[in-house]
Amino acid sequence: MIDVKNLSVQYAGNSTEALSNINLTLNKGDFVCVLGKSGAGKSTFIRCINGLQIPTSGEVCLDGKVCLDPDYVSGAKAEKLRKVRREMGMIFQHFNLIPRLSVLQNVLTGTFGYRSSFKNLIGWFSQEELELAKKVIAEVGLSEMSGRRVENLSGGQKQRVGIARALVQQPRVLLGDEPVASLDPGTSNHIFTLLKEMHERLGLLTIINVHDIDLAKRYATRIIALRNGELIFDGPPEQFTEEEYYATYGSKSENSFFGAGI
Amino acid sequence: MVWFKKSNIVTVVILLIFIYLSMRLTEFDLTKFKDFRNMIDFLSQWFPMDFSLLPEMVQDTLETLAMAFLGSVLGLVIALPISFLAARNTAPSRALFQITRVGLSFVRSIPEIVFGLILLTTLGLGPFPAVIAIMFHNIGVFGKLISELIEAADPGPQEAMKAVGAKKWVAYLFSIMPQIWPNVLSQFFYRFEVAIRTSLILGFIGGGGIGQRLFNDFKTFQYSSVSLDVLIIMVMVIIIDFLASYVRNRII
Repeated sequence: MIDVKNLSVQYAGNSTEALSNINLTLNKGDFVCVLGKSGAGKSTFIRCINGLQIPTSGEVCLDGKVCLDPDYVSGAKAEKLRKVRREMGMIFQHFNLIPRLSVLQNVLTGTFGYRSSFKNLIGWFSQEELELAKKVIAEVGLSEMSGRRVENLSGGQKQRVGIARALVQQPRVLLGDEPVASLDPGTSNHIFTLLKEMHERLGLLTIINVHDIDLAKRYATRIIALRNGELIFDGPPEQFTEEEYYATYGSKSENSFFGAGI
Repeated sequence: MVWFKKSNIVTVVILLIFIYLSMRLTEFDLTKFKDFRNMIDFLSQWFPMDFSLLPEMVQDTLETLAMAFLGSVLGLVIALPISFLAARNTAPSRALFQITRVGLSFVRSIPEIVFGLILLTTLGLGPFPAVIAIMFHNIGVFGKLISELIEAADPGPQEAMKAVGAKKWVAYLFSIMPQIWPNVLSQFFYRFEVAIRTSLILGFIGGGGIGQRLFNDFKTFQYSSVSLDVLIIMVMVIIIDFLASYVRNRII
């Protein structure tokens, strides 16, 4: 579904590449967890999929057609990128909800890509759009909160709003940039369970950055590991052993996870 | 002497020199107050107040309020879209950003009274040129303040709006406005208070309102009316101050 070809990113004023020459094919149904130390390029990688980060060289293709290369900054290509983004829902570490708006209002902003600017501006939504928003809010378990302002919610609830906003796009791809890094372990588990459930029900391609190897091994169907911007592992979670862990993080794992064989 | 460094002494000396020079330039001399009896004589002519013109004065006060309100509201409405061009993160191009910034500081650098004096030549006497003068200056001020708020807004929601595929300007509008709205309103009320004081001064050059009445009464030695003008202005400023802080607290 998504082909990443020779993808490299170099930030201005940095001598080393944040991502160097990544080649990958990601398929519908993959639940991909991206592992790596801070600064390994995980975030850059995810942000390259929907063009929040424009690559320095290489390209990303969706269904065999190029959807991102270094020229997708402005003009007709930027407009093409905008249309591609509508098919990719994204959730963030800091949730990135719009403050002072309610849960329902935040979720409705997920439909913005498909609607005219005028309708967005005056806030006119069709019955189907409202029904869809209510449906996804129910799916993430926030029906009773839909009128509340998002800043009054807990971290876990905020991320549920983030997920609902992504789902209302009716995406084919779901991206997560450290979606549970600011949540406690229990809540992280709930969020991952919800993500996996949606992933399976909607037949998505899900790509998530995560620090917690425990979560990655439990939920992923495929693990990708990056180190210093280079792809060093790509395979099923069973093959990500202590050795790969050491290669990825440069230290021994602290938990007894590998021995336990979950 | 733990608190003081040698460099502090230099600072204090420099400060004292500036204070002395400023006193020389402004003819600052407290001994001049020995003639304060004149002031008391003068102020005694202010009383008793003459209430016969109260209805007209209230009408002029409303005119002053309307001038200040219209000038600051129009300034805000016009400045809002301009602010997005004048903010580094939302400007469509670097060149447009620079041009808008320079334009705003140019408008801001011209005092309202100069705008008023220039506009008098085409618009004639009255509150209309005063409204336009206040509006122009406020476009400059709001443009600067709001563009700084836009630059300081959390980039997270902006990214999220881009990620859902919203058009760029829709993304900026929806992710930034809710964040900065309380601050914008708070700035508006402050500028409204300032505009009231400005419209008083603009009255002195023929801009109408209670400012012009005060000036005319003063020039024609109607001191028993001057005292009431001053009282009305004080009451108005206090009420607006009170209302503004009430509304500000309710919003934030």
